[in-house]
Amino acid sequence: MSANRTPHAEAILSARGIVNRFGKQQVHDHVSLDIMRGEILGIAGGSGSGKSVLLRTLVGLHRPNAGTVTLNGKAIEAVAPVDRASQIGVLFQQGALFSSLSVAQNIMLPIREYTRLPPSDQEMIAAMKLELAGMTADSGVKFPSELSGGMVKRAAFARALALDPQLLFLDEPTSDLDPLTASGIDAMIGKLNQSLGVTFVIVTHDLTTLFTLCNRVGVLVDHKITVDTLDHLRRSDHPWIHEFLHGPRALGAMEARRQSHGNG
Amino acid sequence: MTFNQVMGKSPEPRSPALIIDEHGDRPALKGALDIRSLTDAEKLLKRPPGGKKVRAIDLHGLDALDTPGALLLCALRNDGVELTGVRSEHKALLDLICGLDLKPLSKPPPVSRWREFVTQLGKGTDEAWRDTLEIITFVGRSASALAHAFVHPHELRLASISRQVSETGVNALPIVGLLAVMISIVIAYQGVAQLRPYGGEDLTVALVAVSVLREMGVLITAILVAGRSGSAFTAEIGVMKVREEIDALNVMGLAPVPLLVLPRLVGLVITLPLLTFYADMMGLVGGAIVVNALLGYGPTQYLELARHAVDGSDLFVGLFKAPIFAFMIGVIGCMHGLRVTGSAESVGRETTRSVVKAIFVVIVLDALFSILFEKVGL
Repeated sequence: MSANRTPHAEAILSARGIVNRFGKQQVHDHVSLDIMRGEILGIAGGSGSGKSVLLRTLVGLHRPNAGTVTLNGKAIEAVAPVDRASQIGVLFQQGALFSSLSVAQNIMLPIREYTRLPPSDQEMIAAMKLELAGMTADSGVKFPSELSGGMVKRAAFARALALDPQLLFLDEPTSDLDPLTASGIDAMIGKLNQSLGVTFVIVTHDLTTLFTLCNRVGVLVDHKITVDTLDHLRRSDHPWIHEFLHGPRALGAMEARRQSHGNG
Repeated sequence: MTFNQVMGKSPEPRSPALIIDEHGDRPALKGALDIRSLTDAEKLLKRPPGGKKVRAIDLHGLDALDTPGALLLCALRNDGVELTGVRSEHKALLDLICGLDLKPLSKPPPVSRWREFVTQLGKGTDEAWRDTLEIITFVGRSASALAHAFVHPHELRLASISRQVSETGVNALPIVGLLAVMISIVIAYQGVAQLRPYGGEDLTVALVAVSVLREMGVLITAILVAGRSGSAFTAEIGVMKVREEIDALNVMGLAPVPLLVLPRLVGLVITLPLLTFYADMMGLVGGAIVVNALLGYGPTQYLELARHAVDGSDLFVGLFKAPIFAFMIGVIGCMHGLRVTGSAESVGRETTRSVVKAIFVVIVLDALFSILFEKVGL
């Protein structure tokens, strides 16, 4: 990967002092996080560490017990839905494609709602998004129930790209996929980051994604988040982070990192 | 027109609108070319005001470009328009989009209306035929499982059955009672109103008692149970199917019919006659209230008139139908539950079908029974 786009030192989305608790169970204890324009940020953590809740908080689906989230300097609750939709895209874990609409109609839904483009233009844009997500235009007529797991992710990806958001949140984009399909998704994320300059926040367990793709990684441990580059995190003396990044599975991911970075 | 104007509000313009500088056939684009300004740009570039065909576009002043904008530029480039002064940050985007092998979205081939009608008719007939076969097969399988269970009663799951009786029966008591009272009030009011001109108000009691015991009691109860419990059977079994729980049972060597279908069927066959009897009694109470209010008959007088109007066969005819209706409601509910495939959407579709079909079958059977009992002379 040629790095003609380096992350800018400008936060596109910032979280300050996020506190989330459900009943007596504390999930986040004053978590602060800056997402820099143009970067790929990975968010990792054990099961139940609050990764998905953090993602829902960052995109404004969940209101935290305390703390603020700002998008381009504006509180996320105050951003009009139209503007939020054109700035933030989310790829949900199960795809969340509307089952009563075909793939193309899924992609065209936000375009149709928010613009007055003629149908022929909408269809061209939908075909382009499908191609960008690595699908062919013929799959546009299919319905979500007719797609395989990898195709569902790609179709959902195409829909998340519908309004050209600058910031895309991906919830477990490679889970439940075979390694080849997962690598394909990773490659697509890298390509879109390079050529469209899209900022990515990836919540994932997939060590290969974290090791090869992400500029920085945030690890959620003990209700806090530690954000740093992978090389720095690997030197962390926190037992969980150390075990996570040096365990048996991390060795394979490290090898993949050496290969991809060596070739790039 | 900018996007914000389109949406009917005009706070802070986020992106400057698109401006086209005219330089003969070499216009320059300034501002933002994105999904919001796409239509305007398309109009201006394809049909420039001067009428001259555009041969080159200068993109030096372009501040923002998104994928739909890049798509438009690529289409122009393919038409032989030269793109000059492309900024470095737009180059990767243009290369990516122009490099895509774009095909238009495929559309289902158009079908003429009469042909579609014939196809639909054929499909519908085929489906109805398969449906009928499936119901007959499932009725047979359930009946055989039921017969097997009566020969080997220790295999009946009493705990499951009692749970079904409580869910389909005890919990339905308030609504069944209320509906029975309401229906008999309607019949009694109509009876008094229609029979009074002929001086036959006294016959209202007979009308209420006979129609409630023979028809309305069992019909109302069966329709309510079909909507309440038949749908629950479909949804419960359907969700189990979606979550692969039925497959898990099969892998363990446990057949779903004796385990899931039989307790529900037996439970409903026990419950519906009892609910029907209860509805009959509540219906008579409803009739008594109206007759007392309109005609001034006391309870003893009402009962005396009712006793003369009905005989044992009326009650028997109503109660006889109940277990048969129950069996059909249960079979249809469970069958549709097992027909669920894959998605959650399918659970909703099958539940709707199960309720509609169960109510349809109940009413058709009721009509057939009316003819049958007439011939038999009951």
